[in-house]
Amino acid sequence: MFQRAGHLTRVMAAVWRISLAEAIAYRVSMLMWVLTTTFPLVSLSLWSGLAASGPIGDYARPDFVAYFVAAFLVRQFTASWVVWELSAQIRSGDLNTLLMRPMSPMLYHAIQNLAALPIRCALALPIGVLVLTLTGGLGWPSPGSLLALGLSLTLAWLLNLGVHVTIGCVAFWVTESTALFEVWLGLYLVLSGAAVPTSLYPAGLAEVIRALPFHASLGFPVELAIGRATGAAVTHGLLLQALWVAVFGALATVLWRRGVRAYEGVGA
Amino acid sequence: MFYLRLVRAQLEMSTLTALQYRLGFWTEGLLGLLWSVIGIAPLFVAVEHLGAVEGWGRWELVVLTGCFTVLSGTFTALLQPALRASMTHILKGTLDYVLLRPADGLVLCLTCAFQPWHLVEVVGGLALVIAGLWLGEVEVTAAGLAAGLATGVAGVVALYAFGVLVLCASFQALQLQALTHVMEALMDFGRWPAQVFPPLLRVLFTFVVPLLVMTSYPAEALLGRLSWGTVAQLAAVSATLLVVARLAWVRSVRGYTSASS
Repeated sequence: MFQRAGHLTRVMAAVWRISLAEAIAYRVSMLMWVLTTTFPLVSLSLWSGLAASGPIGDYARPDFVAYFVAAFLVRQFTASWVVWELSAQIRSGDLNTLLMRPMSPMLYHAIQNLAALPIRCALALPIGVLVLTLTGGLGWPSPGSLLALGLSLTLAWLLNLGVHVTIGCVAFWVTESTALFEVWLGLYLVLSGAAVPTSLYPAGLAEVIRALPFHASLGFPVELAIGRATGAAVTHGLLLQALWVAVFGALATVLWRRGVRAYEGVGA
Repeated sequence: MFYLRLVRAQLEMSTLTALQYRLGFWTEGLLGLLWSVIGIAPLFVAVEHLGAVEGWGRWELVVLTGCFTVLSGTFTALLQPALRASMTHILKGTLDYVLLRPADGLVLCLTCAFQPWHLVEVVGGLALVIAGLWLGEVEVTAAGLAAGLATGVAGVVALYAFGVLVLCASFQALQLQALTHVMEALMDFGRWPAQVFPPLLRVLFTFVVPLLVMTSYPAEALLGRLSWGTVAQLAAVSATLLVVARLAWVRSVRGYTSASS
């Protein structure tokens, strides 16, 4: 038992080192990805411009700044790109190499995502801090809510991973699943709070949107970070996140197990 | 004439390839249209709270969204697949076979792939423009229409020029397929009226990354708000970009080592 755990730790450390080296080798590519995720900052300038003459809903100008900077950072910390790799690997047959290794390909992908985290932070934190100093401060969350924030970020990352694996595994049957992911992404941009805080949608519609997985993966951690979710809303949001993680985790597991069985390994 | 026939032949070939995947024809085309339209949601949220966004009413924003949809359809149907295929050529070193052909390399690169189903978006976008003008009860004058077409053409030229610059960048740094995604994500800001952007970003999005030339200004022209001076200025911007792009291409090809990497 202990031997096995030790073995697993060593394997994980090895994958971490490889992935870190890969991430450093393709810095430009990585910078491009970080650049894509800076777009909340353009949304920031748009909305804070619109709020110049008065608050919009319950968001005044500084609130928009805090919201979008937090959104930018949350996206950096919870990013996943498994769907691109997984569907390409299934289509080309490259998955074979991963299946031969003495660890689950899922674990491999998860560690790979985690390995890029330090570099993402190194690239993203200065941008976030710069914007905040230029626009004047962010109310830091209290130490008590930091714990909730950490939990929420972890859940958001797991949720993203679950969605990516679920959609990536569809490639076992249809060979091209990135188109399906584009559908997800289209909905995500509008419904997650990346383009506009979800609480600004008309009453009635807002409640529905805020119950969807999109809001759980971005909007909720952001609201938690800027101190807009307090008391019962925190537990409610965390539970909702956990629920969606469970749903997509179960889906991903089932699809992966059945998919590997249906996998022909020859590529198309 | 030769180039017209060449482009036609290339497009026909990729259409035939695309027709093999008939499911994509409907799903990708119609879904693309749906996404372009759904993206209007943040704009409507702003209108709902503010009454109008910097002087743009509800139906005027629909016209703007139509212009955006036409442009993003053009991008995903024609430019993006061609850029991706060309970047793969550069990465693998197979660009040699393109350059060896007895025609202009850039023309060949820009027409080497085509996703016809995304043209559904272009048609849908035009329908949106007409619907927005109709429901907003805007009188479109002949001059406005001409100005709209002129800025629209300038916008497409600017889009292509920018695409070529991106392609040239991929000669320098490999693994830049991600750049077409960056471009796609950037284009999303073309949904917003030019007036919303702070001055610095407006300059950036007009002259460096000419998003606003592509969407916001054609819409304004159709609504009859653009002076001919501005139209001339925009045409000059996209012409300059085109020249810069062409020069960058010539330079990049000269530096191309053809080794696969």
